Amino acid sequence: MANSNLPRRIIKETQRLLSEPAPGISASPSEDNMRYFNVMILGPTQSPYEGGVFKLELFLPEEYPMAAPKVRFLTKIYHPNIDKLGRICLDILKDKWSPALQIRTVLLSIQALLSAPNPDDPLSENIAKHWKSNEAEAVETAKEWTRLYASGA
Amino acid sequence: MDSEDDMHDANDAESLDDDFYSGETAMDSDDGDAADYEFIDNDSDDSDDLLSRRSQQNYTILNESDIHLRQEDDIMKIASILSISNVAAAILLRHYNWSVSKVNDEWFADEEKVRRVVGLLEDPRALPNVKELTCGICFEVYSSDSMRSAACGHPFCVTCWQGYISTSINDGPGCLMLRCPDPSCSAAVGQDMIVSMASHEDTEKYQRYFLRSFVEDNRKTKWCPAPGCDYAVDFIVGGGTFDVTCGCSYSFCWNCTEEAHRPVDCDTVSKWIMKNSAESENMNWILANSKPCPKCKRPIEKNQGCMHITCTPPCKFEFCWLCLGAWSDHGERTGGFYACNRYEAAKQEGVYDDTEKRREMAKNSLERYTHYYERWATNQSSRQKALADLQQMQSIHLEKLSDRQGQPESQLKFITEAWLQIVECRRVLKWTYAYGYYLPEREHGKRQFFEYLQGEAESGLERLHQCAEKELQTYLTGGPSKDFNEFRMKLAGLTSVTRNYFENLVRALENGLSDVDGHGGSSRTGGTRSLGAGSSKSRGSRSKGAARSSRATDDSAHWSCEYCTFANAKSATVCQMCQQRR
Ligand SMILES: [Zn+2]
Ligand SMILES: [Zn+2]
Ligand SMILES: [Zn+2]
Ligand SMILES: [Zn+2]
Ligand SMILES: [Zn+2]
Ligand SMILES: [Zn+2]
Ligand SMILES: [Zn+2]
Repeated sequence: MANSNLPRRIIKETQRLLSEPAPGISASPSEDNMRYFNVMILGPTQSPYEGGVFKLELFLPEEYPMAAPKVRFLTKIYHPNIDKLGRICLDILKDKWSPALQIRTVLLSIQALLSAPNPDDPLSENIAKHWKSNEAEAVETAKEWTRLYASGA
Repeated sequence: MDSEDDMHDANDAESLDDDFYSGETAMDSDDGDAADYEFIDNDSDDSDDLLSRRSQQNYTILNESDIHLRQEDDIMKIASILSISNVAAAILLRHYNWSVSKVNDEWFADEEKVRRVVGLLEDPRALPNVKELTCGICFEVYSSDSMRSAACGHPFCVTCWQGYISTSINDGPGCLMLRCPDPSCSAAVGQDMIVSMASHEDTEKYQRYFLRSFVEDNRKTKWCPAPGCDYAVDFIVGGGTFDVTCGCSYSFCWNCTEEAHRPVDCDTVSKWIMKNSAESENMNWILANSKPCPKCKRPIEKNQGCMHITCTPPCKFEFCWLCLGAWSDHGERTGGFYACNRYEAAKQEGVYDDTEKRREMAKNSLERYTHYYERWATNQSSRQKALADLQQMQSIHLEKLSDRQGQPESQLKFITEAWLQIVECRRVLKWTYAYGYYLPEREHGKRQFFEYLQGEAESGLERLHQCAEKELQTYLTGGPSKDFNEFRMKLAGLTSVTRNYFENLVRALENGLSDVDGHGGSSRTGGTRSLGAGSSKSRGSRSKGAARSSRATDDSAHWSCEYCTFANAKSATVCQMCQQRR
């Protein structure tokens, strides 16, 4: 089984994620691959995503923790730093990654990104433009999408 | 001719020829700026001369160990001035792009801020004083003596440090600015720590990045752009030119890193290079290195560097590679007068009718470009050929010559010098064609003067090239000759004369031919006279060219422009080609 020689760090991180989950975040490893996590993040209060439940997938590559985990939104979301494939523009997932960061810190950062979109460092050009030219309207669209795509769970 | 300047020009023209061909020393020295353009043999034939010239340049060639030494030097300098460790000094210098003065300034302006930005802690913290510690990366518990930390005291186990360091080194030069893995901490990880934990292979990579950074992140240094060359050039900006010659013998412009291009400036070079790539599809035919013999029409491949081509037997027709004209037309004196620099002069003699003229005009811009491009490219390949010849000379022929002529090789340096000079001259000459292309058509005085200087340069170089290439052959194949010393004198003399001439030429062109500027309108007419019929004595085909243009004026329906030979309709008062007044 591929999971038999899972690094101790991953086992510990997993245990802790399950035993003391961060508020508004759940992450559980897939049964057949302990490096693949099903993630759910609740839309932060006072954000356009409030009330939504967003599904993500998170994968720990072979080099983890020397390399960053790979994370992607599965739920459609209207956000300037997230593209339509669900990819996320977040520095700690790229050049600012440090092996001392963890799955928990990554997910918390993503949650924070939902509270504070950053249209100046966009991944989705159109949404960012919308955000900058008419924030109120963009926020409405984000709310609308949250109702449409993230309310089920 | 109405001013002293005109006299001046006329004198210049004649004395140039006389001096050059007779090999005598200069005429009256009170001739002011004129003396700048003469082939004066006032240099010693000392073969160390070239070397001493090079050593006073405003740049230094650095090999790998030089770079290393300088880097070490700067690090020690900073370490001692700031009273910090060498490792810390290296981190600072890297951060401020290896500028010793910048590090100094910033440090003494606000040490605290610099420390914060760079990640140098004032009070290094040791590992927490406990028996066991948990590694922040692998979450394993270790005894504290198997943990390591940067100056911040954040503990990680050796295995995790190794993984962290190795990942960073294999990610690229960012490893030179490595920080503590703790995301809330920006403490720098120094070279000592990295080297102590990296694999042998990774350490080598790291050292490579470290050395490269000293060249690439440093505003004063650049790598030599020649492929496969590992030298760097340290340049003192301000004063002097940008041309540098690397230890690998490649010459390039330090400013734009194109190949050396004096006397033209960087902007002209980039314009010219863009022009060439835009035109390159039209130009393919030019690059073909064979042309039909003008007499027997068999394709002839140019395999020698100079322009004097002799067709293979039985034809043996001697012609000029550039204009395909008979070589015998190229000069009155032996050695060959070289007159292929002039666009107009290369055209066939005869009066054109109007349609032909108009067609000419349409073709003119491409033709004009072609003219300059072909000569630029020809000099380029001549230069390549000369470089190859030089190498062969040094690796084979000098030894052979030393044998044949019973001369120690140390006495044959004049031959290497000659070839080095040929290579350099071909380069300069090549760029004069880009210069000529961009010299405005309407600046007649300048153009004439330019073409005159260029023509002289070409014929001078051609003589040197012939001497070094063909005359040398006799001594390579024959036995000891008592003429060899004479040959030495001749070649060394030609080398020196040519070097002076080209140096002056470069300076004159770099100054925008400002001598001509000052003469204003009068120098135009004066120039024409002095360069054409005025100095009949030795002007060969060029005086014919001038005579031609004035003769064509006789055609009653047209008047021929004195400057560009264009046949204008009688009614026109201004030349339609070049806007010159009738
Ligand atoms: Zn560890
Ligand atoms: Zn730290
Ligand atoms: Zn080089
Ligand atoms: Zn340049
Ligand atoms: Zn022939
Ligand atoms: Zn010719
Ligand atoms: Zn004209």
